[in-house]
Amino acid sequence: MDRDSALTAVLTDATAACGPTLRVLSGAAERRAYDTDALTAHRVQPGLVLLPASREQVAPIVRACLRHGVPYVARGAGTGLSGGALPAESGVVIALARLNRILEVDPDRRIAIVEPGVTNAAISAAAAEHDLYYAPDPSSQIVCTIGGNVAENSGGAHCLKYGFTSHHVLAVETVLPDGSVAVLGSDDIEAPCYDAPGYDLRGVFVGAEGTCGVATRIAVRLLRTPEVVRTLVADFPDVAAACDTVSAVIAAGIVPAAIEMMDNLAIRACEDAVHAGYDRQAAASLIIELDGPGQECAELFEQVSGLCSAHGCTRLRIAADAAERAAIWAGRKAAFAAMGRLSPEFLLQDGVVPRTRLTEALGGIARLSAAAGLRVANVFHAGDGNLHPLVLYRAADGEQPAAERLAADIAELCVALGGSLSGEHGIGVDKACSMPKMFSAADLTAMDRLRAAFDPSGLCNPGKVFPTPALCGEARAGAYQPHPLEETGKIQRW
Amino acid sequence: MVGPSFDPTPGDAPSGTTSAADGAESASGSSGQSGSPGPRSITPTTVKDLRDAVTTGTVLIRGTGTATTWGAPVRDPRTTVSLTGMDRVLDHRPADMTVYVQGGIRLDVLQAELATRGQWLPYDPARSEATIGGLLATGDAGPRRLGYGSLRELVIGATMVFPDGAIAKSGGHVIKNVAGYDLAKLCHGSLGTLGVVAELVLRVHPLPQTSRTVMVRDVNTEAAQRLAWALTRSATEPTAIEWCEPEQVLAVRFDGTSDGAAARAAAARTLLSGSLAELDHDESESFWFSHAARVIAEPGDTVLRAATRPGVDPGLVRALAAWAEHSGVKAMLTCSPATGGYTVRVTGGDAKAHAELVKNWRASVEAVGGFVMLRRRRPGVDAMVESWGRAPGGVEVMRRVKGNFDPENRFAPGRFAPWF
Repeated sequence: MDRDSALTAVLTDATAACGPTLRVLSGAAERRAYDTDALTAHRVQPGLVLLPASREQVAPIVRACLRHGVPYVARGAGTGLSGGALPAESGVVIALARLNRILEVDPDRRIAIVEPGVTNAAISAAAAEHDLYYAPDPSSQIVCTIGGNVAENSGGAHCLKYGFTSHHVLAVETVLPDGSVAVLGSDDIEAPCYDAPGYDLRGVFVGAEGTCGVATRIAVRLLRTPEVVRTLVADFPDVAAACDTVSAVIAAGIVPAAIEMMDNLAIRACEDAVHAGYDRQAAASLIIELDGPGQECAELFEQVSGLCSAHGCTRLRIAADAAERAAIWAGRKAAFAAMGRLSPEFLLQDGVVPRTRLTEALGGIARLSAAAGLRVANVFHAGDGNLHPLVLYRAADGEQPAAERLAADIAELCVALGGSLSGEHGIGVDKACSMPKMFSAADLTAMDRLRAAFDPSGLCNPGKVFPTPALCGEARAGAYQPHPLEETGKIQRW
Repeated sequence: MVGPSFDPTPGDAPSGTTSAADGAESASGSSGQSGSPGPRSITPTTVKDLRDAVTTGTVLIRGTGTATTWGAPVRDPRTTVSLTGMDRVLDHRPADMTVYVQGGIRLDVLQAELATRGQWLPYDPARSEATIGGLLATGDAGPRRLGYGSLRELVIGATMVFPDGAIAKSGGHVIKNVAGYDLAKLCHGSLGTLGVVAELVLRVHPLPQTSRTVMVRDVNTEAAQRLAWALTRSATEPTAIEWCEPEQVLAVRFDGTSDGAAARAAAARTLLSGSLAELDHDESESFWFSHAARVIAEPGDTVLRAATRPGVDPGLVRALAAWAEHSGVKAMLTCSPATGGYTVRVTGGDAKAHAELVKNWRASVEAVGGFVMLRRRRPGVDAMVESWGRAPGGVEVMRRVKGNFDPENRFAPGRFAPWF
């Protein structure tokens, strides 16, 4: 059967199973709205877009795709930055925006059960009346959905202390790629367990970038709102002094809720966009936030302020109240949007380095940037070494290929420094071709074996995470091969 | 004041490596008769030797042997591979707050090493002398699960040896990393059925200045539930809340700065009511030691582990007492109300009585959506009751995972019977 007939058959089966409440977008213009996520450099037109009205409609759609051999991808708000929600050519997009109900907030057990289309911020809003919140806070939290967060194992500024999505998801009801429905991490989504027996499939599912099935209900852990939150902005005469301050804070045995750094280019863009009160002259600024019980927070905040001063901080601004704190964060979270002021186009990278190699990494980025003749702004989660270099370019001037090369070089530089290609955005199609820089053939084979256990037919969000000849061409030179000494434990790769 | 410890085990100090099945410590170095059908023990010291040891025949992986009785019995392993020869810290990077270790390092040894730099792994399973690889494979966690998460949250990188001899890694040395699938998660709770965890990278934390324990006595089931919710809804941030029956004590732990932990413990005392005491250091150590001893139990005991949604379910606690009385056995439990989990130690009575209790209480737990596995059992129990009850969702995927990684079913065959 050719793809067009297969799509027609999927549509027939899906509408027969779901009835008139299933929303179908089949016109070319309607489908075009789903041809990309926030990684707009990649665009693929889907063959069909289906918007189920209820979670019960998801399984029949997956089964129809399976029956007719059509690839599919689930989609939330489309804010992903690695092309994870990019459709397969003439594939099906299952858009989950209508599954947006918060089904339960249990303030005693501190659990919320939600549908995948609920936004990250909406969970905290619903829990707020109980002094509870959902901890992971990706910058796009106002619009990004929990389903997408689960797929990408999203982080955010506060994961230094609180961890990632994976740490906060207790159970996931999924439509597995074989068309069955299973609750991973329990058996009953309304009775989620912290430690269900058997292989941790929930742990595998979270962060599998939508390749292991479609989440239809998610049980998340809520945390008590901290008693006290204290936030400061510290300006430094250079990036190295800011990096040293971060190291000093960690060495003092303090785990702040967040430590963010911005370089001058980023500071200026954010300040111009949001007027958060940043100093446009500062070479580097740190935003440090501590939270927790009052007594401890006060003690440690005092210590952190002292460490900033001791490391040559030129201006220390302490948020006087919640409004000022919100303004500081609004500036930071607007960073990516603000880049439009600096450049018509940019690519955002997401590599991670061991925190002690931050200065080295920033130096390396500056060198690569100079060599490529393209500007790079840096905004990043300094506490956990997660860089967010923004490669600025003008497509109209033909700079896109050079920008893409620079972005890939930066990601691979992070790997060379003992880090990772991605801290929170995922591999998707964006970094799939760089995977052999970080993982050996044996590593990737093992991962693929796991993928195949979830998705024997290979129709669930294909072409993501793993390098394929179609995406990457012939096997890229320089792929990792384990050294014999490494196998004997005499040397280390990491 | 009454001493804080309850009687962990009549007259005995706790010990971790106890069961009869655990008894024969494997010999060091590779044993002879390789190629012969008889059982052999191998203690490799490198990843490569480890790989060579596991590529043929049925394989049982063990660390210090503290959990060989968890889950269903493994059928006649030809090769027992001990990880105790791979017990080194490979790279501790205090400034990065990470440590890279071999899978066979004991948790207590690792903690002592980390402590020299003012750090720790905030993880306190009862079996402190177990190996870190074994703790990952058993998915074990202690009371501080509440405050710091389990090993699945603390492992940031892993090197595994799979049955086909592949040496594969996932994760890395950085605490934030979403590149590729997380194979370490797959090993969490796998009980040696998928691969061997040869090396791990762990995220470590600064040692808290102090730890305080507040204890409330005469706390019945309903009160335990009420007090646990009062604590979790407060801003006191306890790192552990445990309730023990039949002693009916609720113990609450606070870790932090000296002044901070004191302030939170004081705040908790005003929240809690009843017969309260704040334990001094020795009393606290003694209490948590006896708590661990109950979880570990002794050869001949049956130990059940129930995973449920958070809470102290009065129905389950009553059912346990009633079924224990019915079968003429003694059942002692510890419950983690905030994270949902019960460990039950059964003593007295014969195997038939133990099996009956397992069947009956398992039915009660499963009726409220929970799961019960056996960690230890009185000899003879296996013939009468399965080690695993109701399976969690996705068991079909687990079967396929097992089939894809170990198609010949050589690694710990039978461990997950009757699921697969």
